[in-house]
Amino acid sequence: MRTPTFRVLVADDNEVAQRLCKRVLEKAGYPVLIAADGLQAVDIALRERPEMILMDVAMPGIDGLEAMRRIKTEIPAMPIVIASAHSMSSDRERFLAAGADNVLSKPFRLADLISIVEQLASVK
Amino acid sequence: MRRATPFAALAAIFAVQALADAQPVVAFPLYLAVVLLVSLRQNRAESIAVVAVAAMAVLFLPLATAGQASDIAAAVLLAAVLIGVAITMSVLSTHSRESAAETQRRLTELAAAERRLRATLDSADQGLGLVDLHGRWMQANEPLIAILGRSNDDLVQTTLAEVTAAKDRAALAAALVLLRNGDLVRWEAEISQARPDGTEVPVGILVVKLPNTATGEPVLLVQERDNSARRRTDALRDCAAAIRQVIVTSPSVEHGMPQILGAFCNSLEPKLALYWGVDSDRQTLRVRHSSTVSSAVLEGFVHASRGHPTASGVGLVGRVWQAGLLAAEEDLERAADDKRVAAARSAGLRSAVAFPVVDTGEVIGVVELLAERVRNPQDDEVTMLAGIGVEIGQFTRRSETSQALRRSEADHRAIFERSPIGIARISADGELLEANPSLLQMLEHDAEEMRTTVWPDLMRAYDQAASRQRKATFLAGITDGSSVQVRAATGAGNWLWLQLTATSIPDSSGRPEHVLLMIEDVTTVRETSDKLAESLEAQREANANLEKIDHTKSEFLSIVSHEFRTALTGIQGFSELIRDGGLEADEVRAYGGYIFNDADRVNRLIGDMLDLDRMESGRMTMRTADVDVNDILMEAIARATSSAVAVEFKSDLDPRLPIVAGDRDRLIQVISNLVNNAVKYSPEGGTVTLTSRAEGHFALISVTDTGIGIPAEDIGHVFERFRRVRSGIAQSIPGTGLGLTIVKQIVEMHGGKIWVESALGHGSSFHFTVPLTPEGASAVQLRHA
Repeated sequence: MRTPTFRVLVADDNEVAQRLCKRVLEKAGYPVLIAADGLQAVDIALRERPEMILMDVAMPGIDGLEAMRRIKTEIPAMPIVIASAHSMSSDRERFLAAGADNVLSKPFRLADLISIVEQLASVK
Repeated sequence: MRRATPFAALAAIFAVQALADAQPVVAFPLYLAVVLLVSLRQNRAESIAVVAVAAMAVLFLPLATAGQASDIAAAVLLAAVLIGVAITMSVLSTHSRESAAETQRRLTELAAAERRLRATLDSADQGLGLVDLHGRWMQANEPLIAILGRSNDDLVQTTLAEVTAAKDRAALAAALVLLRNGDLVRWEAEISQARPDGTEVPVGILVVKLPNTATGEPVLLVQERDNSARRRTDALRDCAAAIRQVIVTSPSVEHGMPQILGAFCNSLEPKLALYWGVDSDRQTLRVRHSSTVSSAVLEGFVHASRGHPTASGVGLVGRVWQAGLLAAEEDLERAADDKRVAAARSAGLRSAVAFPVVDTGEVIGVVELLAERVRNPQDDEVTMLAGIGVEIGQFTRRSETSQALRRSEADHRAIFERSPIGIARISADGELLEANPSLLQMLEHDAEEMRTTVWPDLMRAYDQAASRQRKATFLAGITDGSSVQVRAATGAGNWLWLQLTATSIPDSSGRPEHVLLMIEDVTTVRETSDKLAESLEAQREANANLEKIDHTKSEFLSIVSHEFRTALTGIQGFSELIRDGGLEADEVRAYGGYIFNDADRVNRLIGDMLDLDRMESGRMTMRTADVDVNDILMEAIARATSSAVAVEFKSDLDPRLPIVAGDRDRLIQVISNLVNNAVKYSPEGGTVTLTSRAEGHFALISVTDTGIGIPAEDIGHVFERFRRVRSGIAQSIPGTGLGLTIVKQIVEMHGGKIWVESALGHGSSFHFTVPLTPEGASAVQLRHA
């Protein structure tokens, strides 16, 4: 059963990507919070305590991995999915090793995005 | 019996007188005769008794018969006569006895004196004898008999000439004639006497003519002194002196030893002298040198001996070697028979003496002396040979040492003279003592220049090089033999690399006496190694570049794919949304816009990459024409302003800037890129200033912003591909990362330059130049003239 309170923080500096994720996830019934860079992501994550975070890597300020580290330090249980256009196989390993709960390669199928979020939501 | 006889005679006379009744006077002569006879017997007591009895016999009858007084008186007279005769006889007899005793005593004394004289003569250390004027031996004392080797009986059968060696006989005969004639009273000479056994004895002879004797004929006193001992002593002394002379003057054993052996043969009796040297392995004695009177037989024996190495303890020389003491074979006939002894005998040799040649207690050789006669060395000869053995030993060692020294010196001299390496001998205080020919040739200087100017320069160069390498300076003590390389000019002005290797040569007390400096021309080596190092460095750089290129390429791929995927994320996502339908019309329009923008971005990225590739590979064609730079700048400002960014534009354009020669589209690309960058990196309210002016043959265009600036560590890399400054807020500024790389390529293709000045937080200034057209350039010159 899906809980209507499963909020997703989308952290991405690319406006197009922000809008796409927001549109798709809200349509699927997940409230979406938006952060445009790493520091904002940490800020919102700690303040709003969303149910999960979809985190880009290449962002101004601190990058997604640094933001994830800071968030996980405060909230170790926070599910964080790295969504990156760095999509070589070594990158996936690198992100998982850095503590990501899952990795979503860009560009992605909309169904893949929804299924990753649903999966985490159902665990919750 | 005999004592009774006179009394019996007296009694007989008395009886006859009494019987005959004769007068005593008749019998008196008889009595007198008895008394005389008895008194001759020199026995005084008997004489007195006989006289007394005779007197009584004479007196008895007259007294007994009481004869006439005259008879008695006559009888008394007769008795007195008897007594008187007896007394007289007794006195006479006593005198006679005394005289006889005296004579006897004298004779005894004479005999003793003669014995003493004889003994004295015999015990004299000189031979003494007498010959007559013709030289016939009359007598001789023991020493003379010993010298001449004959008995006295034999001697008196011979003459002085006969016992004299044949060679001296003529001189002797002449002397005897002179002595006989009285022209000479004394003859003294050194001659040899011949013994019956054939040997000769050297003697000093003195012949003195003695004056007429009782027998009449004058005689000759012969005095002879045996000189053989003195001769031997002299010979030994001469031999030792000759050997010492050789030892002192001879340069080597090879040269000296035959002379030493020759001295033995010349001065002493041996006919053959051999030197046996101990082999270096100390296993064998071998004949090394020989000296002999010229004789085929002896030469043959020497040859045989040379082929006859001897082990320790074997044969005479082997025994001498083993014992380290002189030994002799007095008579080879009686020597233990071996091959060599037999050979010696057949060479006519009869005796051998061998003595060790000793150096510091070690036998290094044996000298063997062989003579043709049976002989045993006397004590003085033994002593002399032992001493000479030590001297020869020292000579041998000294000569070997000095020969080794000479050889070593010759070697060193040859090395110095012939070495292809330059060698300099330097005094302890740094003066050049000697430079070898190689060094002079290498440096193309003569010895004087070398000493006065070149060497001091070289030493300074050494010290500088040494101090750079933290080594001791030249004079500060070079013992490690390490090398330094210095640069030096030759006399002909060529520059060489010299490798200097110094070695200090200590004197006997260990202090450095001088320094040997090896100087090698390592120019070729050095240049080769320098080239090698350069090429290695180039190789290393090339490798580093390749690595960098490789890394850049990976990075490029990574960035390019990231850029593409980022753009594609929107394109793919929104396309999927549109495809799935159920969207509002304005949603579809908006999503279409996103898709278009991202597609355009992908297109630009591809375009930039292709441009760059074409430019870098030289396939970009330039459409050069006259271009008005100010015009392009104005357009750029107009375009940028219209895009409604909150940045203020300023321009400071030289209105008289001449036309440049360039590809207008490319120059527009350069300027808009720089302007876009300036805008992108400027905060709201920032200012972007465009300036243009002529600078020599170039138009100088600058785009200055008041933006974030470029960190110092990045400023050298801004024109490299994908070297976008990604730190701080710059990270959020989009771009392909190829813009400035393309700009630089275009400027350089025009023959211009591009550079940047920037201060972090205060903005950046990009400047580039474009060559003016020839007319434009001259116009500028005119204007400035």
